[in-house]
Amino acid sequence: MKTDLNMMGAKGAIVEEAEGKWGMVIDQDICTGCQACVAACAMENNISFVGEEDAGYGRTQHWIRIERFWEGEYPEVKMTPNQPMLCQQCGQAPCEPVCPVFATPHSNAEQLNLQVYNRCVGTRYCANNCPYQVRSFNWRDYHIDRFHANKVDGKSVYSFHNQFNPDVTVRRRGVMEKCTFCIQRIHKAQDTAKSEGREVVDGEFTTACAQACPANAITFGRVDDHESLVSQLSHQKGGVKHLEELNTLPRVTYLKGG
Amino acid sequence: MIKRIFDWLIQPLGLIAVGIGFLAVFSLAAYGINSTQLAPTQPIEFPHDKHVNASIQCLYCHPGAAKGPAAGIPAQSKCWGCHQQMEITETSELLAPLKEAVESNTPIKWVPVVMVPDFVQFNHRAHVAGGQNCENCHGDMTKVTVAENPQVFNMGFCLNCHIKSAGDDHEKLVKLTDCGTCHY
Repeated sequence: MKTDLNMMGAKGAIVEEAEGKWGMVIDQDICTGCQACVAACAMENNISFVGEEDAGYGRTQHWIRIERFWEGEYPEVKMTPNQPMLCQQCGQAPCEPVCPVFATPHSNAEQLNLQVYNRCVGTRYCANNCPYQVRSFNWRDYHIDRFHANKVDGKSVYSFHNQFNPDVTVRRRGVMEKCTFCIQRIHKAQDTAKSEGREVVDGEFTTACAQACPANAITFGRVDDHESLVSQLSHQKGGVKHLEELNTLPRVTYLKGG
Repeated sequence: MIKRIFDWLIQPLGLIAVGIGFLAVFSLAAYGINSTQLAPTQPIEFPHDKHVNASIQCLYCHPGAAKGPAAGIPAQSKCWGCHQQMEITETSELLAPLKEAVESNTPIKWVPVVMVPDFVQFNHRAHVAGGQNCENCHGDMTKVTVAENPQVFNMGFCLNCHIKSAGDDHEKLVKLTDCGTCHY
């Protein structure tokens, strides 16, 4: 995305033009940390379960995770609100310029950070340069690797073969993957809307995490449409964008202490 | 050692051996390449040309193309809808498998001919709604019997058409050449 540098302050102030297209608001005050979004995301996007051994190496694959922090010293420990962390779909993403094969381009049409799996060669440079640590790497073919399959009656049973989402690519070993803001749902909604000859309505569809959230802490929609719920929520007082000072122009707003 | 082999090779018998060896490799390669270009054998030698020449629309048998991602292959009940009224169904040998399948109520195992490459999400509906005719990608079906794939579906083929159909519309060009439109 081309951004006029004159419109940005020293702290990378958000300007209207840099607002992006799709955005998300996460209300940390009503998030209970139940992990329903994490499960829903894994189901929707064919994310692998890595198993105990690889999880021990820190190779877990999550496109969204719940972060927990503590305040104060030991006897007086106080937990801060749960913080769901997912790809912020930065307007100026640090992961993008470092890819040597341009496998993580910026979508000009949807204003998202993409990951093109068949172009990725697995240098993991993007994950190392991501300030939010939200990219995950496929260390193995978890869905076909017979050395990591569960055994039932002596036969290998591969995790959830029958419930892969046909709209999402099943990633192979050696590629990076990340949250796509459920781009398959975006395309499906746009396709349905176009076949009916109308525009996509706010709230017509949502991401898997927002759909699964029992507390409705996650809201997804068009941030450039000022009538939409997500746009109004993101302009509330107390809205925080993480690591804004790095000038990444994140698209996810966190509401806390409201 | 090498000089002895070379001496043997340049005598007439050696040259013939080299020639035969070269021919064997060449013909194997040619056979291999040729076999990838052949249409797969189908359980019924379905003549597309006869059906299209009988002015049956593509979308009559493949209605999914106008509605969703996959065009679909018709079930035998759809074939039978027309064919049970036709005399040729009783007499033709080629149609015997269809008759048998309907009587025993076992599905016909058609072999897919056109495959979308990996890592690509393709939607027929958007292309049909965008005014693309079936033959732009699948070839002229009035001339083929058993379905064959005349077009290699690679990214260049898709992008050429996307850029051409966008024309001067910049917004459309951005949308149609965006990685995320097809790869996710």
